[in-house]
Formats: sequence, structure tokens, C-alpha cells
Amino acid sequence: MFRRIISCSMSPAVRRSAVLAGAAVIGFSLSGMVHAETLTVWDDHDSESRAAVMAELNGRFKEAHPDITLDHTIRDFADLNMTLKLAVSSGDGPDVTKVNQGAGAMGLMVKENLLVPVDDFITEYGWDKNQSDSLLARDRWSDKGEFGVGPTYGISSLAEIVGLYYNEKVLADAGVELPLTSFEDLMAAADKIKDAGKTPFMIGTAKGHLTLHMLAGITQAHIDASDREALDDLVYGHGGTFNTPGNVESAKIVQDWAQDGYFFNGYQGISGDDAVQLFVSGEGAFLISGTWYFGDMKANPDIHFMPIPGPEGVEHPLSVGGVDLAWAITSIAKDDDTKALAGEYINYMVSEDAAVTWAKAGYLPASSVPADADIEVTPLLSEGIKIWKSLNENNAIGHYPDWASPTMLKTFDDNTPLLLAGQQTPQELIDKLDADYQAYMKSK
Amino acid sequence: MSRSPLDSKVSSNLVFILPGLLIYGSLVFGPIIAALVLSLTSWNGISAPEWIGFGNYISLIADEVFFKSLKNNALLMIFYCAVPVCLGVALAALVWNLKQKEQLALRTLLFLPYIMPTAVLGIIWHWLYNPAFGPFNQALKLVGLGDYALPWLGDFTFVLPAVGVVASWYFFGFCMVLFLSGMQRIDPSLFEAAKVDGAKGIRTFFFITLPLLLPEIRIALLLTIISSIKSFDLIFTMTRGGPANATLVPNIYMYQLGFQLNRYGYAAAVAIVGAILIFLVNYAVHRLVRPNHGGDAS
Repeated sequence: MFRRIISCSMSPAVRRSAVLAGAAVIGFSLSGMVHAETLTVWDDHDSESRAAVMAELNGRFKEAHPDITLDHTIRDFADLNMTLKLAVSSGDGPDVTKVNQGAGAMGLMVKENLLVPVDDFITEYGWDKNQSDSLLARDRWSDKGEFGVGPTYGISSLAEIVGLYYNEKVLADAGVELPLTSFEDLMAAADKIKDAGKTPFMIGTAKGHLTLHMLAGITQAHIDASDREALDDLVYGHGGTFNTPGNVESAKIVQDWAQDGYFFNGYQGISGDDAVQLFVSGEGAFLISGTWYFGDMKANPDIHFMPIPGPEGVEHPLSVGGVDLAWAITSIAKDDDTKALAGEYINYMVSEDAAVTWAKAGYLPASSVPADADIEVTPLLSEGIKIWKSLNENNAIGHYPDWASPTMLKTFDDNTPLLLAGQQTPQELIDKLDADYQAYMKSK
Repeated sequence: MSRSPLDSKVSSNLVFILPGLLIYGSLVFGPIIAALVLSLTSWNGISAPEWIGFGNYISLIADEVFFKSLKNNALLMIFYCAVPVCLGVALAALVWNLKQKEQLALRTLLFLPYIMPTAVLGIIWHWLYNPAFGPFNQALKLVGLGDYALPWLGDFTFVLPAVGVVASWYFFGFCMVLFLSGMQRIDPSLFEAAKVDGAKGIRTFFFITLPLLLPEIRIALLLTIISSIKSFDLIFTMTRGGPANATLVPNIYMYQLGFQLNRYGYAAAVAIVGAILIFLVNYAVHRLVRPNHGGDAS
């Protein structure tokens, strides 16, 4: 729990001024050294609450740099992915941008020299002291196009864990006892809830990627952190296969749940965001997705968050996750002053001050929050921070499998509805995923 | 009689069409030629395109997803073309016999969907179909038909008709207005002569109204067929081509290939094939739907 350090007798305005002054001193010690005039920034913080945080952070950065113009554009994830490469390659994009890790975006941009390595800034600002090396590795691409090694091209400000949201009240009403300590417990709880006439899993597959999260989450919960090498190799493009008994078994479990009525009735016609809203309103006992929904979930105090439990015998099950899109510097930032200003901007976005601001808004920051920070975290965020700490300590943060190839996300999207509808066997789904992966490996 | 400057030699008048020619050339011909050249390359949108000749077109022949998108498009034509034209003709015949005020009110009412942007309609109907919040399923449950409250846009059997119905609803009012204007063109003495000969309503419709409406039917078919092959925004806002490509059409496939998978050369090949299809189908309509006599036979 974070300790209050600012006296309660301070008025909110005075307190805000003190925080701003502190932020300015801590975050902008080098502000006098750079002379670029305009910094163009793109990000994907398109939800109302995340956009508000970014407005606050940008406002503070501007206060410390009154002589610069900050040209800030928010795009949604799909729009950013679609336009970023084209804009930067045409010489008309941002100096600083959020960019999706993986082969389809960051890998391709590195290959075409559209991103600038940030290793010098890591050394200069000590980012590696605030985030673990395994997190920074997700932003590394070698000159030969190898993922996870070589220069670092970005750093993230938010952490992400794909885990199990559960509604304590719905579970209690169905007679399920907490905590769920194993995957077997989760299966038994789902059976019990269904027997009680309730919906075990809230999910929506018309838009979003909740099926991908469920499949990957279950698969990786069956992998012990000590056995993660094959998964790392697969996602980092060192080779391997999707065709494993674990993947097939997970697909079978999810298909059985879909076919046997464990999902919300009509799940095929609602989006992932719809499913979250229904879950918040009390529909369903479980929902598998990421910590980016903390802001929505906090509206229902019965909702809690935990990692997907592993089966008996798996001591440290992996949790899908990592970090949000990375802050990166593009080739548009040509002169040293602009690069220095871009580095300083990113440094502020991953600073402790920014981490505190994100945490106050209910989000899980990737950078560590000072122990004496003046914030009262929501119960959900408190659970998230504990889980994040534990996963980092045990090297148990897994991967998004769609990072494995540029086309993997589409392959998932094209095939998982067929699996859930029973028009494709689990083995056929895994064969499709593996065919995509092997084709990419062959093309490298 | 004074001589107009436009009566001078063609070469002297070229200057008058130059602005239009430049705009048309740069915004229409230029991109078409660029797409044609691009379709002969492999290009990720960033690095220099690599010339591969007809490689993209050869790959298209073996592309199951592309053929699925064509099949979906062909099925959607029923909803984009056949249903609105049939419904439009039938409604025009009914509305034609109404009094002036009623006719005006109905014409305006049924034409209204056509003035809305299809992207907006897609978003609205997406919500109407929502199985959790949408009014369709709520109404079905209210009247005890909960078993029929399906996830319309997520169901492999019903998703294509569910999207198609919206297209039919969008186009039928337009077709009806087009046919009503065509009926105004028909010489009233023909109807009077038919009446004198003892022809009743249905017979008059099939032997006089319908044949003389062929020019309008041809225009309606051409416009709706072009719209169906060009379809993107309505489907994109409703299903994005899903689930599992069940509503994928060539234009959405082209978008996915280009902007999501960075295969711009291949996407251009899909666009070129789509354009060729539009030409072929329209040519077929021009040849097959022709009035035997009278009307506009151009």
C-alpha cells in the first residue's frame, strides 16, 4: 500500500501545484539542453479515461517546455497500425509514436530504418532500472530481423496482464469457494455455475480478441516459467511450432465450453467491449481479458482479478501479457535536437511521475511506482500490482501469440469463430496457426 | 447569326476541357494506372516495389479466400439488386394508383433510407441486431419468441442475409422513385387503350408498364450492381467481413491485404479484378436488358 506523503491539510490546488512542481524538477532536469521547436506525437490512448491521462501528462510536459509546440494526435489501435508505417515512410509522420511490438509493425519498421534505437536514452535516463530486461527485450530487433535481440527500439508505459476477472457475488451465489488455486478448480467452478443456471464465462467475439486471450491464457497457464524457452523461441521467431498437445487441448477446452453453453447466450453477436459492459453489470461469473479493462471493471466492486490458475504441478504458470504499445522515436526526428527532445518526452512518459498518474486513473503502470507515492489505488489495481510484481519475480510473463508472425492475428480472427461454432476441430485450428507461422519462418 | 467560340476547331477548344481533363486524369486515370502497375509488383508499402509480373494474379487463382469473397458478393447481389428492383417495381405500381398527396408522402417516406450514408446505417443496424442490447431480440423475447433471438451478425447461417436486408432496405426506395419517374414518361393513352380492350390491372402491369420500364430497370440494375461490387462501408461497419470471412467481399479483402497485412501489390490485383468484374457485369446488363422498342435503347 502506498503511503501518503503530502499533508492532508493542503488544499487540492496547493497539492496539485506541489505535484506539478515536483514533476517538473524530477522529469525535466534536461529541458534546457534541447532546442527543437515542434514535437509531433501519435498515440493509441483513445478511451476517454486514457486520453485524459495523456492530456494531463502532455500538459505537464508543455509547462516544462513552454518554447515548444506539442502536436499530439490520438488514433485507435487499428488506425495507428494502418497509417503509421505509410506516414513515416512518406516523411510526414510523428517524431514520437506508440508502435505495436511484433513482426507486423515494429519489426517491419526497423527493417525499413523507420525507427531509431533508444539504447543511448536507456543508458542516459536509466530506463533499465525501472523496467526488467525481459520487458525491454520485447522492443528489440536485430539487423537480421531477429525479434528479442539487438538494439532496443522502444519502451512502454503501461503493463498488461491477461488474467481472470471474476465476480465474487455470482460465485458465492453459486456456492463456489474462493480462492481458485488450480485450473481444475476453475473447471469445477464453471461446472457449478452452469448447474446453478448462470453464465460461467462472459465473452463477445463479434469484435475484439477475447477468444485469442482465452485460448492463449489457458495454454500459457499450463506452462511453468521454468519451461518457457519453447514459447519464447516461438514468439521471438527462433523457430518452433504451434502444433503442441497443449495448444490442441486448450482449443478443445474452449470449444467444449462454447458448444456446451458455458458462454453468454448470443456471444457471437456482441463485441468484446459489450461483453465487458455486461460483465460489469453482473452478467457472468468469469471474463478472461487484460488489465486494460481495470478502468471499466472498477465500477463493480464485486469484480476481482487473478492470474489464470495453472494445473496441479505447475508452480509458476505463465500469464499472457507484457506491456502496451511501445513509445518509439521515428526516422522523422532527423536532427539531434529533435531526437533529444523525443528522448526526453519518452523519459517523462515512463517516469515515476507518469506511473503515479496512470495508477491514480486505475491503470497498471509498467514503470515502478514510488513506495511513498500519494495515491489510493483501487482494489483491482492493488491486485494487479501484486500480480505484476509476482509474475516479474518468477519470470512468468508470457507472450501474445499473435506477435509470432505479421499475419497471425488475422489467422486467429479468421479461424477461432469456426472453432467456437464447431465447424473446425481443435487440431484444424492449430494446423492453420502453425501453417501461418511456418510460412512466415520460411519467408524470413 | 453570330458564331460561337465553341464552333471553332477541336484543337482550339481543348483549352476549355483542360481543367476537367487534368482533374479527371490526376484523380481517376492516374490512380487506375498506378494500381495496375502496383498489381504487377510485390510491395509492403514502405520499401521499393519488386516487379513480379502476373504473380499476384496467378496467386489469386488459387486463393480460396478471394473466391469466397466473390461468392459472398454474388449472394449479396440478390439483396443489393434483385430484391430492391422487384420490390421497387411492385411498390411503384401500387403507389402510382394513389392520390397525389398520398403518393408524395409514401415516396418521401420510402426514399428516406437512401439519403443516409451507408456507414451510418451500418452502425445503426449493428446496434439493432445486437443480441444483448438490440431492440430486435428484445422484441422477440417480449412476444415469447426468445428461441428466435439469434446473434444475427455472429451466426454463420444468418449473417449474410442480415447484412443483405439492410442493403435491400437502403435501395428499394430509390428504385421505386426511379420507376415512378419512368411511369410518368409512359403515354397515358396506352393504358386507356388497354382499358378499352378489357385489360385488368395485373395484365396491364406485365404487358405495358413493365416492358416500358425496361430503360429504368436497366439503370437501376446497373447502379445497384455497381454498388454491390463496390460494397465496403455497410459491411465493414456491421461485420468487418466476419465471422470467419462469412461476409467478406473483395473490397474488404483488398483493405485487409493492403492496410492490415502490408500486401499492397496483391491488394491492387484484387482491386483490378474487381474493376474488371464491374465492367463485365455491366456490359452483360447492357446487352441483356434492352427494350424491344420504344424508350431509351442507347
